[in-house]
Amino acid sequence: MNAIRAGIAASAALLCIVGAAYAQRGGFRFFSDEDDAPMPADAGEKTEFVFARLRYPSGRFWGYAGYWTIDYPKADRQFLQGLRRLTRIHARSVEEVVSLDDDKIFDYPWVYVVEPGHWTLTDAQCKKLREYLLRGGFLMADDFHGSDEWEVFMASLSRVFPDRPVVEIERSDPIFHVLWDLDDMMQVPGIVNRPYFRTYEKDGVEPHWRGVYDDQGRVMMGICFNQDNGDAWEWADDPTYPEKYASQAYRMAINYIIYSMTH
Amino acid sequence: MFEFLFKYPASVFSRGQFVLLGGWPVWLLGLGVVAAGVALAWLLRRSPKRLTGRRPAVIWLLQTLMAAMLLFLLWHPALSVATLRPQQNVVAVLIDDSGSMAMQEGNTTRLDQARGVLQSGMLDRLRERFQVRLYRFGAAAERIDDLLGVAGAQPATRIGEALQGVLADTATLPLGAMIVLTDGADNTGGIDRETIQQLRQRRVPVHPVGFGREVISPDAEIVDAVIPVRTLAESRLTAQVTIRQHGLTGGKSQLTVRDAGRVVASVPVVFRQQDAPLAQTVTLTAGSAGVRTLQFTLEPLPGEVNAKNNAVARVLQVEAAKPRILWFEGEPRWEFKFIRRALGEDSSLQLTTILRTTQNKFYRQGIANAAELEDGFPARAEELFGYAALIIGNSEASYFTREQQTLIREFANRRGGGVLFLGGRATLGDGGYAQSELAEMLPVRVEDRKNTFHRDPAGFELTPQGLDSLICRLVDDPAANAERWRKMPLLADYQEVGEVKPGAAPLLLLSVPGRRKSPLLVIQPYGRGRTAVFATGGSWRWQMSQDAGDQTHEMFWRQLARWLVSETPGLVSASMPKTVLSDETRVPLRAEVRNKEYQPMADARVEARIVGPEGLAETVELTPSPHEEGVYAASWPALKPGAYVAEVIARRNEEEVGRDTVQFRREEGVAEHFRLAQNRELLEKLAEQTGGRYWTPAAAKKLPEQISYSEAGITAREARDLWDMPAVFLLLAGLRATEWLLRRKWGVI
Repeated sequence: MNAIRAGIAASAALLCIVGAAYAQRGGFRFFSDEDDAPMPADAGEKTEFVFARLRYPSGRFWGYAGYWTIDYPKADRQFLQGLRRLTRIHARSVEEVVSLDDDKIFDYPWVYVVEPGHWTLTDAQCKKLREYLLRGGFLMADDFHGSDEWEVFMASLSRVFPDRPVVEIERSDPIFHVLWDLDDMMQVPGIVNRPYFRTYEKDGVEPHWRGVYDDQGRVMMGICFNQDNGDAWEWADDPTYPEKYASQAYRMAINYIIYSMTH
Repeated sequence: MFEFLFKYPASVFSRGQFVLLGGWPVWLLGLGVVAAGVALAWLLRRSPKRLTGRRPAVIWLLQTLMAAMLLFLLWHPALSVATLRPQQNVVAVLIDDSGSMAMQEGNTTRLDQARGVLQSGMLDRLRERFQVRLYRFGAAAERIDDLLGVAGAQPATRIGEALQGVLADTATLPLGAMIVLTDGADNTGGIDRETIQQLRQRRVPVHPVGFGREVISPDAEIVDAVIPVRTLAESRLTAQVTIRQHGLTGGKSQLTVRDAGRVVASVPVVFRQQDAPLAQTVTLTAGSAGVRTLQFTLEPLPGEVNAKNNAVARVLQVEAAKPRILWFEGEPRWEFKFIRRALGEDSSLQLTTILRTTQNKFYRQGIANAAELEDGFPARAEELFGYAALIIGNSEASYFTREQQTLIREFANRRGGGVLFLGGRATLGDGGYAQSELAEMLPVRVEDRKNTFHRDPAGFELTPQGLDSLICRLVDDPAANAERWRKMPLLADYQEVGEVKPGAAPLLLLSVPGRRKSPLLVIQPYGRGRTAVFATGGSWRWQMSQDAGDQTHEMFWRQLARWLVSETPGLVSASMPKTVLSDETRVPLRAEVRNKEYQPMADARVEARIVGPEGLAETVELTPSPHEEGVYAASWPALKPGAYVAEVIARRNEEEVGRDTVQFRREEGVAEHFRLAQNRELLEKLAEQTGGRYWTPAAAKKLPEQISYSEAGITAREARDLWDMPAVFLLLAGLRATEWLLRRKWGVI
């Protein structure tokens, strides 16, 4: 009997491992949020802007998918609804998953990466990301918190740009004014902070809007540290999620996108 | 031979009038001919030696012609011709004293040959008949008493000006003819119409005597080097160099362009075709702002007769100005970002953009102050015409009011700016441009339909015009450039447009599998400006799909933008035909003056402040041209060789309208090394147009006798008998001989 139980447990574990590994490659997702974000009828439309979500190796799992899948795809699709409604950007209603393992990423000059506090980029991926950004691509990093995750984030980033510092983006920078003037910004909490008496996670008390600049003084990477804009997009339709956070998350990301299309 | 047969030269027949000096009426001549014919026919019929068939008719015809000819001579035919009265007319003898006449022709120089012709009796024989005035000329004619001072040292040849000078000098004298001893190596390229008209008005025949070889071989010569007068700093530009060669077919040389001794471009030259001018294109970079004197030098080939015609200089004005380009974009696009980056890094351009981010919001970049473009796309000419070029992005035609559409058209047409239309989902065909005011200014026909824009990857190919164009020059070598374009990444999208309009040049064509080739990049001149269509919004892939260090995307866009702005004039636009005056002194200055709406300004006061070598500073007033409104002109003598700067300033009611600068060089001792071969064609044309005759040195000894037949000066009409022409005698003898031979053949003598 013990042998049967052990066999079942081993099979279940194997299934989980294979499934998770497959999901990691973007093939399909167990327990995804697809039901909350149904595929729009115009998902196949060819558009100017596509919300590209970066798939990256994280070495650990969250649920049965990689960290790159967090809030996916509802956050993306719900954010895209706002982007389409509030701007003249011709944007596709669904996201596109891209990775640093092939050249497809160069067709998407704007990329969103979630939970980079867990990414463990290979040398080849670091090189590809550096090339992507120097050619003119833009990367928005979001939803990572505290000093430990920052350390992990920087472990890969320092191999992408050994010679470029990560700096706080001044409030006067055009990235905060290109569409909306974002002079007073607050920490955007994740859903884990419900009921939002506290807005930070781990030791990430202070929110930071950091960036990496190119040689011409343009932001190549917008790093939203100690905040969770992805959750704000994903839960914007939840009456319990405060509107002020969702509103700021939309505005800020739209500013980042328009900035990336104008600078 | 002609003169032997007909007693007089052909010119006497061409000028003379035929007359019959016999007193009898002409009708009597006709009657006599008829009577002779009848009598001869009667005699033939009575002849005992009967002829048969057509033979009597042939014999009758020959005899009647003979009788008619004799009767005609009895009526005393003659030519009435105007001839110069002896010793009452002036004949001007001009001897070319320019440097080219010092060229060696065998053992002597051209000048020695000319002196020889004059001193071997010609001058004496002329003096027997006429009052002879002797002149030497180079750039102008100068009267001389003898040939001692003629040394072939003058730095330029301007036959037209010399002839005009002699006409002026003899304005009150009966000038009967001009004899010009020259090689025809005129530095101005020809004789102007005004000089010919003056000669014809005074009916003065010009008799050129040509000296020198008509072909100089082996020799190569830079005929011309054409470069833009002005350009922006760090611009690439092409120079079209025309080279002519004789006797060097198959030879190879090197064409080098130097700026202050520094080589800025060098290309190999191969002479493939005999006697055909070779057009060689050289691409070079203008460098930083300032005035460049570019020296084009063709490396001399072994054995070349004249190496001094292997180099020419041209002045290039590299401007420090930063022309402003206004880009109106209807929605955020990747194309916008990447083109902005490409142009933003160009220190010679200033890009101002206005982007519709939302339905009601604009995002302005590159503005000079907070008020600029505050209300969106300009609605007033004064505001819009401040820019040098326009880029119209992805925006429906209906977004612009009808007045704004007219303004955009006038921006190119009247203001002289460049307008570029980009492809996009809401523009051109999809944007209703076919039915708009803008349709006329597009270099392509736009179809009035939707779904012309496709977000699918698209290939493209370079056209022959594209290969020649600086806009598409990614690599200097044409073959390497074509190869580079073949390797460019696909475009992200493309838009179908209709056919290219007449006069427009397609530089790139779309190449999409399953679709016919359609224009991608088309340019055309439009009014005073230029317009272009780039039927895609997806060239950003050229940046994102190539290495970060690759500069092809940037280079293409900077070259296209510089084409848009480079020839956009300001309110005051000064120019002159040539920026290097080779032994010429007259500087024709021209300025076009417009008001802020770029309408011609006819009531301005325009002056040029000229600064030249050795501290020369002068102010010259430009006067309004009677033919063109808003155009002012002046002619000024630049006597000293060196560099000159002319700053043209226009004022109206003491308020400055604008100013512009032209720079030029005056060179000395250069022109006479060019076009050294005898220009017989020019001299023959001069003779033909004035009623004279071209003479070779050998034939010129007859000139003093024949020069008498002229309508100019003091003339007398003389009758020249024709009855005793050898041709008449030969004709009569021929008629009799023919009759005798025929009779002998037929056996009826």
